[in-house]
Amino acid sequence: MLTDAMRDRIESSDFPPLTRQQLLDSLGDKEFSEEQFEEILEAVQNEFEETRIEPLEAVGVIAAQSIGEPGTQMTMRTFHYAGVAEINVTLGLPRLIEIMDARKEPSTPTMTIYLSSEFNEDRDRARMVSWQIEAAPLHEFGDITTDMENMQVLVAVNQAVLAKRKISMEMIVETAQKKIRDRRHYRDFEVEADPENHVIIFTPKDQEKYQNLFQLAEHVRNVIVQGIDDIERVVVRKESGEYILYTEGSNLKDVFEVPGVDTVRTRTNNISEIAQVLGIEAARNAIMAEALATLGEQGIKVDVRHIMLVADMMCMDGEVKQIGRHGIAGEKESVLSRAAFEVTVNHLLDAAVANEIDELNGVTENVIVGQPIQLGTGDVKLVAKSRT
Amino acid sequence: MESYTRYEKARIIGARALQISMGAPTLINVVSKTDPLEIALQEFRENVIPITVKRR
Repeated sequence: MLTDAMRDRIESSDFPPLTRQQLLDSLGDKEFSEEQFEEILEAVQNEFEETRIEPLEAVGVIAAQSIGEPGTQMTMRTFHYAGVAEINVTLGLPRLIEIMDARKEPSTPTMTIYLSSEFNEDRDRARMVSWQIEAAPLHEFGDITTDMENMQVLVAVNQAVLAKRKISMEMIVETAQKKIRDRRHYRDFEVEADPENHVIIFTPKDQEKYQNLFQLAEHVRNVIVQGIDDIERVVVRKESGEYILYTEGSNLKDVFEVPGVDTVRTRTNNISEIAQVLGIEAARNAIMAEALATLGEQGIKVDVRHIMLVADMMCMDGEVKQIGRHGIAGEKESVLSRAAFEVTVNHLLDAAVANEIDELNGVTENVIVGQPIQLGTGDVKLVAKSRT
Repeated sequence: MESYTRYEKARIIGARALQISMGAPTLINVVSKTDPLEIALQEFRENVIPITVKRR
């Protein structure tokens, strides 16, 4: 049996948290003696030391190959979608490239929004949160007609929709005119609300041209009056006993402000957004999770440590940098290292003009000048051992 | 005995084998062995090589 003393020993050991947890889990309900416990601990300790990487190992090259080789196995044309509720998500090689390139915006931004306990057990309550998130243009709230005779755009607001979506007429009028002015940069119009007949009247200032009227009608039709602008669609799904929202489009900051959203578990696939809102460590975790999920979805297993190394390199300077020309490879300290990567002559010329000095600290530089590199046996410094 | 990584082992044994090949006196009794590398390996196993590593 697992005694409290044993538990304490596991908890206070030097193993990483995951190993500790696995030990506790697998020993939890088993019968074993004191000596057997010692044996187990020792075996785990040995195994743990075996799996550790020795100093001076060329981990970067190993990581590159360990991700690169399975990458070649990935189906090239998987621009398709994940099975999650008809929402399109870029997967496979294109997605992996997207992650490594640290794009500002992924080609298919999506969010997985978890709800707090008051909202995640009931479909209708989950729907209520989703209405605060899904961008709803004004035409979803009633019929929009263009009155050419009186030069007006009329919105006949449907009361049933208002009640369902829990929004008042005044709020619609207010947000509609504000959004048309600020977001759509169209200012030459006036708004009047007629609460008795449930009609909102938009009038262009310039009454001379029909063009203005049609332009205004277009703006009125499409202005977002409820929800978050970037989130085009929300799908409510039940998964492992709770309701979850999947979205097309992503806006982490605004979603976090919606009441009922569980900000701890909610996530987005837009890594640069995570870096902005939650910080660089969160971005590093997001890179790891996204890369691992993309590879895993194709049935490819890559050790996390390779991906951790990549994610660490990308986030090392406090911002998410891409792998390649405009990131890690292109911003290296060493001239020779940069020149070895791309556009050799330009780099050398610029370095000469700027009187740059190469300290020859990296691997590439030393290969170029023909010195031993700082990897493997190349970086072992020998000294005479004093006779004792 | 100190634990060395495989790179450190290789480097120490390599350096010692070079010394032996150039005529350095061996630190163990060798009668059957003539190959400097074999001798260096034997010396390493017996922990008599007067070389260690400087770690940063």
